[in-house]
Formats: sequence, C-alpha cells, structure tokens
Amino acid sequence: MTFLAQRPMPYCRGCGHGLVARRLDEALGRLGLDPGRVVLTTDIGCVGLVDPLFPAVHTVHTIHGRSTAVAAGAVLADALCAEGGLTNIVMLGDGGATIGLLHLTQAALMNVDLTVLLHNNMLFGMTGGQHSALTPEGFATSTTLEGNWVPALDMEQILRGSHGGFFARQLATDRELADVIAEAIAFPGFALVEILELCTGFGVPLNELDGKALRATAEAEGKQFGVRIRRTDRRPYHALYRERFPVRAAGPPPATRAAPARAFAHRLTRALGVIVAGSAGERVQTAAAVLAQAAVLSGLCCVQKNDYPVTVGSGFSLSEVKLAPEPILYTGIDAADAVLIASADGLREVKGRRDLERLAPAGVVIVDASLAGELPPGRALAAPLRSTLTADTAALGAVALLVARTGVLERDALLAAVDALGGKDAGALRAAVERGSTLTG
Amino acid sequence: MTARGDIRLRSGNQMVVEGALRAGCRFFSGYPITPASEIYREMTLRLQARGDVAIGAPDEISALCYCIGASQRGVKAMTATSGPGWALMIEAFQYALMTETPVVVAVVQRLGPSTGGATQGAQGDVLLAEFATSGGYTVPVFAPSTPGECFALTVQAFNWAEALRTPVVLLSDKEVGMTYEALDLGALPDVPVVARPQAVGDGYRAVAFTAPDEVPPFAPVGGPLKVTLTGSAHNKDGWLRKNDPETLDVLRHLEAKIAARAGDLALVTEDLDADADTLVVSYGITARAAREAVRLARAAGRRVSFVGLLTLFPVPADALRAAVGPAKRVVVAEENLGGLYRRVLAGALPGVELAGVNKLGGMIRPAEIVEAL
Repeated sequence: MTFLAQRPMPYCRGCGHGLVARRLDEALGRLGLDPGRVVLTTDIGCVGLVDPLFPAVHTVHTIHGRSTAVAAGAVLADALCAEGGLTNIVMLGDGGATIGLLHLTQAALMNVDLTVLLHNNMLFGMTGGQHSALTPEGFATSTTLEGNWVPALDMEQILRGSHGGFFARQLATDRELADVIAEAIAFPGFALVEILELCTGFGVPLNELDGKALRATAEAEGKQFGVRIRRTDRRPYHALYRERFPVRAAGPPPATRAAPARAFAHRLTRALGVIVAGSAGERVQTAAAVLAQAAVLSGLCCVQKNDYPVTVGSGFSLSEVKLAPEPILYTGIDAADAVLIASADGLREVKGRRDLERLAPAGVVIVDASLAGELPPGRALAAPLRSTLTADTAALGAVALLVARTGVLERDALLAAVDALGGKDAGALRAAVERGSTLTG
Repeated sequence: MTARGDIRLRSGNQMVVEGALRAGCRFFSGYPITPASEIYREMTLRLQARGDVAIGAPDEISALCYCIGASQRGVKAMTATSGPGWALMIEAFQYALMTETPVVVAVVQRLGPSTGGATQGAQGDVLLAEFATSGGYTVPVFAPSTPGECFALTVQAFNWAEALRTPVVLLSDKEVGMTYEALDLGALPDVPVVARPQAVGDGYRAVAFTAPDEVPPFAPVGGPLKVTLTGSAHNKDGWLRKNDPETLDVLRHLEAKIAARAGDLALVTEDLDADADTLVVSYGITARAAREAVRLARAAGRRVSFVGLLTLFPVPADALRAAVGPAKRVVVAEENLGGLYRRVLAGALPGVELAGVNKLGGMIRPAEIVEAL
C-alpha cells in the first residue's frame, strides 16, 4: 500500500526532502504497518511541510526542536498507560537537531522506542540559509558567506556518547535509504538516521557542490556512511520501566500510620509561635515536626514552616511552628512566644532575623549553655542541650524543655508524636524528649 | 476511604500531589527546582508505585513536551516548576494552547527575577502566568492559599484542562507549597472528576465546532480516528493555513471557549459585610494574612469585606463587582512590586479607588494590611 498522498511535493525542485518522503513511504509499506498506529511528529522548517503528504497516519506538527520530546511523551504514554505498539517517526532538520539536541541525546540515553529522520541539508533553509551546528567547515551559508569556520557536530559520535542503539548516515539519493529507514523503524529502541541533502534554495547557489560531491565532502570531514551503530544489548525504556514498576492497583497514600486513638490535653488559649533554630543536618526540622505532630495529637491547629540556606547540609536550619486552638490564618510568626537555639548557626540566624528583639511579652528563650555568653544576662534560659544530649537531638531536647517549663502540651504528646513520625532513630528521639524534659537551666 | 478526623501534617506541595492523583493524573515529568521539587519527588514515587509514568526530564522544556505528548495520546499529565523553569516552558505551553492539549503546570513561585531567592516566597509570576501567551488569550490560573485548597484546586485545574482542552496553571508559592499544616484528610472536598470530551464515529474533524465557544471532542494520537495537530495557525481540519476566514475562526475559538465559561471558572472565598467601606482582595499565601487583617480591623470597629481569589484568571469580575457593594475603596494585598494583580483589577473595577499593599522578600504581615485600610 502507499501512505503517500497523490499530490505535488511542497518542496523546491531538486530538494532532498521529497526523496526522503518517498523512501519513508516505501519503508512504511514494506513494514506493513497499520496507518492508524503510526504517528509522524514533525519539527519546524521545510521538513515540517511533510504532514499533509501522509494523510492516513497521525501527524503532530510541533515547535522548533521539540519534536523528539513530544514524540517521546506520546510513545511512553502509549506503551505504559495505553495499549502500546505505537510507531512514532520524528522528522526534523539540522536546525531542529541543533536547538533540540538535548531531546535527541535524552531519548537516546533512555532508549525511547522512536525513530528520528534527521534531514541534514547543513543549513536553516526556511529562514534564509543560515548556518547550523551541523554546517561543515568551509560550507558557505547566508551567515558564513566565506565558508563556515567551525566544524560540524558529528551525530554518530553524539549517538555513541548517548548510548544510542541505532545510527545510520545516508544520502537522500541512496538507493538503500528505504531499507535503512525500515530497519530504523523496526529497531526496538531509539534509532536515528541522518540523511544528507543539498538545499537547492541556499546550499547549491552558495557552494560549488553537486549531489555527487556531497558524499566526498562528508567523508573529507571524517564522516562515514551506512548503518554505523546497531546495538542489541539495550532494551527500550518502556520495557525496563515496566519491569521495574509493574502495574499495581492504586493503594492508599504511603507513609501514613494510623492516628493514635488517644488525644492529649493542651493548655493553649491563643496561638503560640515557636522558633526552633540550629545547624543544618542536626535534626532541627525533625524537632519542629515532633512539636507540630504533638500539637495535632493534642487537638490543636498547627503550621510548620522550614527555612534553610540553599545549601541543605551546611549553615543554619530554622523552623517556625505555630500552634493554636483556632484555625490559623496568617502562617508567619511576627513576635515569637518561644525561641529555641540549639547551636551557634541557629543563634546567628535568629539574630539576623531579629527574632529576639521581636519576642512577645513573656516570651521564652532557650539557648544551649555554650552560647549563653552571647546573649544579655537574664535574657535566656541556658541549658546544657548539646552536652547532655547530642548535637542531633539538642533541638528536640529544647522543645521538650519548653513543653515541660510551660506546660502547654503533655510530655506524652511529644513521645506519641515521635512514634507517629516513625523512623529508625525513634528510640534516640524518645530519649531526647525524656532527657530534655528534665533539664534545668 | 480515609476516615473523617484523620488529621495529618501536609504541605501544599504534597496536597497538589494528592489532588493530581485524585484527578486521574497518570503521567508526570519534572525537573528539579526549589520550591517545586517536592511535587516532582512525590509524584515520581506515587506514580511509579502503581506503574504509571513519572520521568525525570533533562530540562523544563522537555518536561512539558513529554507531558504534552502524553496528553495528546490521551493520558492526563502534569509538570511542576518555579519561575525560572516556567520561563523556559512558555513556548511549549503556547503549543498546548494552540493544539488544545489539556495539561496542568503547577508553578510554585519564588523570589525573582532571575535566580532570585530559591527558598523565598513571592507572588511575582502572576502576570507571567496569564500573559505568557501571545495574542490576548485567557489561560485559567488558580491560586491556592492552603494545603486543602492545593488539593481542591489541583482537581479543578485538571477538570478545567480536560473540559476546555486547554493548558491550565496552578499558581502557588514557596510559603503555600512548603509549609506544613494540620489537615483533616478525611474531610477533603469531594470534587467530581471530569474527563475530556471524546470524539466518536465518522466525520471527525480535528477542530470541530459550530459555535466558537464549543470545545472540540478529543481524539487521541494513535487511536482509531486520524488526528492532525499543529502549533501553526490552522483550519478546522488541523491543516496549516494563513489568514483564511476559517483559520481566524479557530484562533478566536481558542479564546471564546474559555471566556464563555468565565463565570463557571470563577472561584472565590468571600467574607462580606453589606455595609463595608473597604473591600480587601488577596490571593495565595497573602490571602491568609488578609483574612487575619480583616478580623483585626473588624475587632477595632471597622466595616470591611474580604474576597480571596482562588481563580485569578479569567478575572472573577462579576463576583468582585458584587463584593464591592457600597465600598468606596478596594485594597489589594500581594507579594510583588507595584501590585501586579491590582493592575488587572483596575480594568475590572472602574470607578473604585484601588490601593495596594505590596512587599518583596517576605510575607506581608496582617498589621501591614490593617495599616492600609
């Protein structure tokens, strides 16, 4: 059968694009594919005029360079969320390959089961013959009139570096092109065929070059023709994905443990804002999460806001926890009721934020004893957090001390919160709550 | 089914994930960016656990293009990013609009411009979300202010994307996305899930409509009906055309189908006082401070109304005009320079005095809004 419409080609006389369309038609016919299961995904440029030539297959005309990514999404959705078996052929030019190179290398890396026909006429034709990353050294274009002085990308080497499974380089006039295209389409994984052509609109007038010299020019650049990569050791992405992630019925959300039946009492009549500050990597946010979870177990409303520098593992870590008997509207803490400082990093950040100056009347400051000298006398309760506990549990110890001192929550609510949060160090956290509750300043 | 009273600490980003899964999302692609990365990570774990698709993309352009390809194949898809990534996605987003491809983009705003502040909140991409599209098209933009709203509005975002065959932006920010809040998972709103209208039978045309505001039935790429899609201006058969009347009809239709449903799309929360002299309007994280400010002002004897915008675009103009009532003054609180949304409201509320409370680099405090009342 023929897939090609009986209509004139939209290309300039002598343009290789028409030849590629004919060879693609032959390849599709030879493979005996159901046109309803074939998609042509086309890029921007003269190559993108191909869609109406193939009226029986699906055609998706995309944006410049992105054809491979759109096709990859369709192929993976088809294989993993639908019945599978879609044949997707991407048609793009050397301009599209330049701007969309990352999509090509990623599809090759993943080994997405699609075929790319790269129409390489060595310049941007539709926009006036400008050079691309695939323009050979010495080749004249409208933007390199004296000849390009930068070498061309070698797609074979790009494909090798991307672990691509199939790569062939042909001339549009090659007799075997239809066979090579058919093999590429049948290849189970990512396949790219680079097809060299001359743009009759710009390439031919600007260069002393005919079709016969095209092969010699490419070979002079060290490029070789024919099927250059044919790997059978890689499976397509969708097959690996399915093996790794089999279809399972949607279960309940993970990581939710049953809420403890017991509710704890609290002594809050208004919102309480607590700032927990320490060093990154020293479980500051865990300490805040235990407080927040304890508030939930005590029937309170609660928000927890975490702050840290862009480097997650160095510098300060700070959490704001707001607990209230009524729904919380504003999530910020403008005047903290308690500031807990577990390390020098935490103190520096709290000073920078001016949390101590903005402390609420009767607000409480708990600071590790090693830092007591850095605050005005009498301003803070200095407790041996780091020496009695560990660096990793000092912040939680401060939370436990706050709860013990103020009685806003039950200590057992903190212990139940540790259990509710789970984790392999629950024992150490429970111990920190128990030790912290008994600390004295 | 989760029991009522199942109270958990959940972040806005986590509830976007829950909303997406409730809405039937089966395909996610993401690229890491603070403060949206938690959506990427959790969608990956959740979708992979059930055999659906989550793909790490090599850039944001790929992420959205993968989603568009999947949606054209008939699968509900979403990506998530922040301002810098959104800037990269805009061309593909317009392609989704032009090809009437449903897709949801969760944009978790951070301080800009450029790299700005990765771990700082902001509401600076409000107009970039809406006016990223060339030609004056309306893109539905929803703005949650709590984890619960993140859930409900993500379902709505999918529903409207499907119903209208359009890309939709879910616009939150660092403070909404990364703040954890006690939430009753047993009391989440039961938002019915909508599927895109499917084409059946003979006579299928790529862009079939009689009245311009009709939504053309969808046929998946690779399905029994031959599909023709293009990001170029096209006629009702999906073929590239230049300025013929049918093609211009298609271009107008892309706007008409959304504009005609502006009333249905308008989601707001209201706390109105029929004798208010001032209306406070806000959205996203600042809506929470604004509600607190209204509470404080009323306690001090002021007559003030409040409207929280869950839908930013299309502008809920009718709801806002009704909410103004006898008020002479509208105060718009938002975390950006110059009042981005206030500029939009200037057109929607003629004859009303508009004032702004604006701030950069930190959440607006209730007291700062009270001062402006």
